[in-house]
Amino acid sequence: MLSIKNLHASVEGKEILKGINLEIKDGEVHAIMGPNGSGKSTLSQVLAGNDAFEVTSGEVTLNGEDLLEKSTEERARDGVFLAFQYPVEIPGVSNLQFMRTAVNAMRHHNGEPEMNAAEFMKLAREVSKQVDLDPAFLKRGVNEGFSGGEKKRNEIMQALLLQPKLAILDETDSGLDIDALKVVADGVNALRSKDRAILMVTHYQRLLDHIVPDYVHVLAGGRIIKSGGRELALELEERGYGWLGIKDEATAASPAN
Amino acid sequence: MKPASTLSTAFLHPAGQALPEPLLALRRQRGAALVDMPLPTRKTENWKYSSKYLKLTDEMAISLPTAGKAGSALAVPGYKVVFNNGVMMPEASEYPDLEDILIQRFGDLSEAEASELAERLDSTLDNKTVQFAGVNSARFEDGLVIRLKPDAVLDQPLFIIHEVTADASGSAFPRIFVDAGRNSRITLVEEYISHGHEAVMVNAVTEFTLAEGANITNIRLSMDGDNVQHIGATGVLQQRSSRFESHCVGFGGPLRRHDLQVRLEGEGAECKLNGVVVTQGTQHYDNHTSIEHVAARCDSEETYRNIAADKSHAVFNGRIYIHQDAQKSNANMNNKNLLLTTGAEIDTKPELEIYADDVKCAHGATIGQLDEESLFYLVSRGIGRREANVLLTMAFINELVSQIPVEAVRETVQSRLNQFFEKAFQEA
Repeated sequence: MLSIKNLHASVEGKEILKGINLEIKDGEVHAIMGPNGSGKSTLSQVLAGNDAFEVTSGEVTLNGEDLLEKSTEERARDGVFLAFQYPVEIPGVSNLQFMRTAVNAMRHHNGEPEMNAAEFMKLAREVSKQVDLDPAFLKRGVNEGFSGGEKKRNEIMQALLLQPKLAILDETDSGLDIDALKVVADGVNALRSKDRAILMVTHYQRLLDHIVPDYVHVLAGGRIIKSGGRELALELEERGYGWLGIKDEATAASPAN
Repeated sequence: MKPASTLSTAFLHPAGQALPEPLLALRRQRGAALVDMPLPTRKTENWKYSSKYLKLTDEMAISLPTAGKAGSALAVPGYKVVFNNGVMMPEASEYPDLEDILIQRFGDLSEAEASELAERLDSTLDNKTVQFAGVNSARFEDGLVIRLKPDAVLDQPLFIIHEVTADASGSAFPRIFVDAGRNSRITLVEEYISHGHEAVMVNAVTEFTLAEGANITNIRLSMDGDNVQHIGATGVLQQRSSRFESHCVGFGGPLRRHDLQVRLEGEGAECKLNGVVVTQGTQHYDNHTSIEHVAARCDSEETYRNIAADKSHAVFNGRIYIHQDAQKSNANMNNKNLLLTTGAEIDTKPELEIYADDVKCAHGATIGQLDEESLFYLVSRGIGRREANVLLTMAFINELVSQIPVEAVRETVQSRLNQFFEKAFQEA
């Protein structure tokens, strides 16, 4: 599904990603862990197409097509979804209007008829229950005045509505209490399917107690320095990052993979 | 040095004599006072950013002849009075004949009624800062006076359609005076529209006086065409516990100027002024508002938003003046501005003068662009860039548009905004 080869990216002239290699197949769940500043969020933003980050070399393909050539909206329509670490608040655009516009943009792209307001309302109410979000939130401005947990659930709700091929979850566990974490994890698990890949970016392994990944990668200094199965996450939890010879911001040894 | 430029005397010769003598006398008096009226220049403080857009020619001094047929195509959900080129069209108008709400043309007033009206015309506006209101007073050929007796309530909005047929250069001087008695209530919608393409000036004045407990909602839609220079003024005088709510929505033009002046003269009066302006191309729009807290314990709440695209220019000047005796005044003014391109210009200036010591007065003005982060969020969900721009621009004024209390007006506004968006954001 997703193939990343020797990806380099910088922001404001500073190189953050220094040669990422990663292969994700249909149905797989990958977790990328790493200390702060290792480039985890940059990788998420680059995949989603944020112009603030400049790709200096390397290639990324989604189902064989060059992803980097495409605009953010084209990537989204091709099935890339990023659950933001810090979802932005947009007063004046209702959550419902926003989600319906997005769903209809997707349906239009797929040659399906648009959903009218009533049809969409019905769907949105069902999905909001799935992430335990009061339907009253649909009427509010996008993320406006939502708590951290509500924002994260709103992100998962969008993923459930948009049914992406590749869901990238950027620190989706941060700022959540145990109950909210469970709701979010249930939502993510509902997304798991043999046709869909999930890339979770996280600092802590606690989310991985609820969403069991197939593969775990350690990102440090802009490179993946170690990859393994889920036991790698447990080892990181127990031993921290020090045993890998890295600290936050430190440059790592040679890339794995 | 160039000689001082004054208003051509051609502008001071009204046509139409079908008015009662006291109103003709008022016209003559105002006309005489305006001989040698200086035209605003860049150095005229309240026209600083807008004088360059004012282009009056002698041809424009001619009163536009009234077009035979007018206003019939406009369906409004309520009562309507149609003005064509500043003259009322009875056959196109539909409004009830009520005992407690008198809707009359100036020409139909008795000598005594006209004399009383002449005393009160211009009383709501400061003629030093709103010079062009004086030109209207020297030139109006017709007008509408609406008198609400105590406790009278008009059950539906009254639409006043000010239509200009610009088949030749000229000008129109529509005039409205609303006298709202104790505890009376009315919703008045003013729509300014135009047909034809010749250069014309619309010089409109609307005045409201609110007796104790009166409640007026005024919606003003400025939608004249790109050939129309529009100079309008609205004056409001409020007595005790009265409430005035205004929704001004303006679309830009070669020259657009609206002065809104409110005086809170009785204790406990309140006003709420909302304004939305959008400009594009090389259009202009200038809103000057003034709220005077004369009496104690009055509330004013003002929220204006400007959106400027392309190379257009929007101006907002908001003045709040709190007199010495106006203790416990509560005044809030907020003006936010959105520049859609780097070539657009917005000038904003809050002016606060406070002479009482126990008041709450807050003001804020910002100028910004569409938020990149929000835009990225929307497009990351597959929403097209053009649609994302429209959503975010609409979000900037949604709160104000949704507060317009007449659904049909909201729809008109939305459809005009959609035309604006169509031009402002081309598909990439």
